[in-house]
Amino acid sequence: MSNRANGWLRGTIVRKSGVSTASSTRTSTPQIQSTSTTVFGGGVKDASGRTSEYFSMEDQCPVCKSDRYLNPKLRLLVSACYHKMCESCIDRLFTLGPAPCPICGKILRKLAFTPQTFEDLGVEKEVAVRRRIAKEFNKRREDFPDLHAYNDYLEEVEDITFNLINDIDVAETEARIVQYRQENAALIELNIQREEQYAQYLKEQEDFERQEREQRAAELRRAEEEEREEREKGRREIIDKLETSDKDAIKLVARSRLEAMRRASARSTSSGNVLQSSSRLLRSRAAQSTVVPDVPHVPLQDNWYAYEDMFTLRDNYDDPASEAVRRDREGIMRAGGYRVEQAWERALRCAVAGLEIMPLEGLHSTASDPAAVPGAGGDVVMASA
Amino acid sequence: MTADIASPAAESSTAVRTTLYEASTQYRHWRYSLEQLAHTRAALNTAAVSAIQEAFESDEPGSSSSVSFLNADEEHLLVKLYVGKISQLCGHFRFPEEVEATAVTYLKRFYLKNTVMDWHPKNVMLTALFLATKTTNHPISLEAYTSHIPKTAPSDVLDLEFLVAQSLGFDFAVWHAHRSLWGLWLDVQSLPDAPLDDLRASYDTALKYVRASRLTDAELVYTPSQIALACLSLASPSLASTWVRSKFPDPEITDPPVLGVIEPIKTLILADGSPPEVEAVREVDRRLKLCKNPEKVVGSKAYLKKREEEERKADEKRRRKADVIKRAMEDGDPFGSELAGRTALDDDDDDDED
Amino acid sequence: MDAVEKANAERQRRWAKDQKIGEGTYAVVYRGREVATGRKVAIKKIKVGQFKDGLDMSAIREVKYLRELKHQNVIELLDVFSSKMNLNLVLEFLDTDLELVIKDRSLVFLPADIKSWMAMTFRGLEFCHRNFILHRDLKPNNLLIAADGQLKLADFGLARDFADPGYKMTCQVITRWYRPAELLFGSRYYSTAVDIWSVGCIFAELMLRTPYLPGESDMDQLKTIFRALGTPTEEEWPGHTKLPDYVPVGQFPKTPLRDLFTAASADCLNLLSKCLIYEPRRRISAKEALNHPYFFALPYPTHPSKLPKPAPKRSSLLPLEELDGNAEPNSSGPGVKANPPNKLKRKHSEDGMNERSKSIARRLDFSQ
Repeated sequence: MSNRANGWLRGTIVRKSGVSTASSTRTSTPQIQSTSTTVFGGGVKDASGRTSEYFSMEDQCPVCKSDRYLNPKLRLLVSACYHKMCESCIDRLFTLGPAPCPICGKILRKLAFTPQTFEDLGVEKEVAVRRRIAKEFNKRREDFPDLHAYNDYLEEVEDITFNLINDIDVAETEARIVQYRQENAALIELNIQREEQYAQYLKEQEDFERQEREQRAAELRRAEEEEREEREKGRREIIDKLETSDKDAIKLVARSRLEAMRRASARSTSSGNVLQSSSRLLRSRAAQSTVVPDVPHVPLQDNWYAYEDMFTLRDNYDDPASEAVRRDREGIMRAGGYRVEQAWERALRCAVAGLEIMPLEGLHSTASDPAAVPGAGGDVVMASA
Repeated sequence: MTADIASPAAESSTAVRTTLYEASTQYRHWRYSLEQLAHTRAALNTAAVSAIQEAFESDEPGSSSSVSFLNADEEHLLVKLYVGKISQLCGHFRFPEEVEATAVTYLKRFYLKNTVMDWHPKNVMLTALFLATKTTNHPISLEAYTSHIPKTAPSDVLDLEFLVAQSLGFDFAVWHAHRSLWGLWLDVQSLPDAPLDDLRASYDTALKYVRASRLTDAELVYTPSQIALACLSLASPSLASTWVRSKFPDPEITDPPVLGVIEPIKTLILADGSPPEVEAVREVDRRLKLCKNPEKVVGSKAYLKKREEEERKADEKRRRKADVIKRAMEDGDPFGSELAGRTALDDDDDDDED
Repeated sequence: MDAVEKANAERQRRWAKDQKIGEGTYAVVYRGREVATGRKVAIKKIKVGQFKDGLDMSAIREVKYLRELKHQNVIELLDVFSSKMNLNLVLEFLDTDLELVIKDRSLVFLPADIKSWMAMTFRGLEFCHRNFILHRDLKPNNLLIAADGQLKLADFGLARDFADPGYKMTCQVITRWYRPAELLFGSRYYSTAVDIWSVGCIFAELMLRTPYLPGESDMDQLKTIFRALGTPTEEEWPGHTKLPDYVPVGQFPKTPLRDLFTAASADCLNLLSKCLIYEPRRRISAKEALNHPYFFALPYPTHPSKLPKPAPKRSSLLPLEELDGNAEPNSSGPGVKANPPNKLKRKHSEDGMNERSKSIARRLDFSQ
């Protein structure tokens, strides 16, 4: 919300302090500093500050009929009931407290006025409603077992939105919203987190790319520097050599040029490669994460029932089969880690597994099919205990 | 009731849970009704008889009319005898109960896919036991095994091993009633008023019944937990029903269904759970010598003829393959062979060069 | 017998072999597909009748356990069919394994990636333990990774059921670098904790990008372990001096894990230390591990589809010394019969996918 200052740059901001507002109403262009960020009222707030306030030469306050010609500093704000009026009217009408809107009579407060973003107030209202709804109705396709259910949900949301926009059954619709919020509190929270993460990913990706670009630029600059220096050095060397030695001038120049080439090629191969590949990798990873999100850990994800609730494993039984083991005088069993409890658990499970399966009868019950998927047996009656 | 799936993700909460027992091959592939068992055995027997009749006819026309083939019940009797012999062998080798039970199961299942007239249970039994030692992690070397069994060479056991495994559909894991009984024994100790002295006696009796149940078809129809419960019920009806009621405490259900299930099991064990009459078996064995499938008897005319047939088929296949390769080479196009290979799906798996 | 064979022949027709991709002492692995759907599979053809004791134990174990287990993080055995001389296992086709991922230096691991892999490993392992099966050969090489990023436990050639009380098990299991001290000391009565130790070593390896405890012999392995984690005391591990092959190996002090794993979070090190506790009874179980705070803390585990994977290599037929049940080979190369057109096509579509995903329009969003 930091860039809101831009939207207000049509005059000096005068902070109204204390209660004595009545006296200073007309002296300077009144500035209403609203700190409300909720959108119960009208208006679309743009946090990034990239959209500007709607402005037209035809602007005219419906209440006092003043326009830009008469009042160059005219500024129309939008009320909670989506009616426009100029700042002077707002100030005149609402400074002393809540008062009815001159156009529709709805009780308004001074704070509930916001700058206009869209030409059409209808659009303004719609966008505000949608934004509000989207904050809470944030389920995604993955949260639904199938496409059908997801579409039903979307239809419900659209229904609610439509009602709110067109003021149909508002009370009932609000109740629906409250109910939804209560039922889905956890999931809403989760999805909010997810979206934050998503935003985080994007930011990271952008940061990384920027970093990379800068690095590459720096690299390039450095490489250029080096090259230039080398060339200089080379030239100086030649001159020196030509001065000092008595070898063939042409040969000397050729040799030095060869060395310079070799140096240049060596430099180019080593540098950019590593940077390139890892950045490409991370970029593709970040791109993937916008498509498939990471989900919280679920310990067990299968659907196998191991009869765990049909018996309780005790830590001691009268059991001749395992007497010797448990006596374990030398502690060998224990040191090796053998656990009789595991053998007991297996036996206990065998004792209850399949008790509920009714035997097949007759000639044409489910025949055993070698290609059958586990669990396709027909006559299973699950225990009701 | 089905606790501990408390995950926020929608995944497991809406799906149906399947029991681990239902995942087992025992449940999926080896579960029959009594009627189905009878039907399967009868059908198998009929098919076997006609196939063997043909073999007899081709060997020596007219010979089959004099042969008295075994019927399904007689086959079953013979199998039962050899099931008993597994016990004896295991005692001899001191194999654990797990091995014994597994071998018994393998033998029974084998004869739901094959007939004794093709494969004599005497050999199959030895192989099944050997296989069972491997699949239950109590392996013994073939040497050691056959040297302790009179008149048996390693090849006698090994020749059939793959066949047995194949007939089992490679379903090696078996859930046994004796383990369920052990679990029962442990769990009844958690009952509020468990009479400990009687418990041991009841357990021993029940275990005897479990061993008797191996001679019956119980494991092919009922689950091991049900069989174990039935055995416990035979030993101590009150204990069994008390335990069951503690497992299904829903007050609306006066009689948990499983109590109804164990009644026929008890009847079955009492009726069928004893070794077959020696005389009857001897008679069957005698007749078996005469109605064996000649194709399976090494050295007989039919056997040799069958081998020739197989050889011929293999030769033809080899030739066909060589043709394909030759054609491809003549083609000159290295991709030509690929196309040809695709269309002629290689059904027979036995080429080692593939 | 003929009926059985006939049934088998039918099953065999469902699957077609395309290309040999690996060979070992007792099995040949092919890439293949399901004829009806074109789905990619790996077909492992095991030759029978090779050994003096008949059917090989590893083959038996693999078939036995894979037939009963069905879980997202355990490799799936789709079918088994056989002919007179061969046993064929049809397994799902998995491109790569964790070892290749670790070794590929061009891949960068985020902490969230490691978390994701560990979660999948624990889930697969917990399922095995829930079915009372010990895997006994966990190592990065046996953790295969599917195209959608899911990690799957494979190679059940050394697996077995929990032993009944009093029955001995062999201690010569698990590849040395991932073997816990109790096995190195020759214990014949052990439990699921041995698998957890292996997972702990894999966890460390994911962070270090190199094996954590590489010993050169069984004795050296013990020394390596003790040097890294300190020699255990009797108090820490009661009774260990009584184990069959116990020998004193040297007194080494305990160094905190943080010294080596400098970048790891506290939760992470806590879980790792719990996997590497000496006394097997106190070692964390798979189920407990899945409920450890490490997994619930931020960052969330990476979604499997976004986990890094090595680029598909192309190399010719590689002989594998012991085909220990890997459904896929170390390379997914063309093999002897070259199919260049198909390969190129595949590559293009992969790259195409990435480009497309980058340019997906961002959601229109009023809630800013």
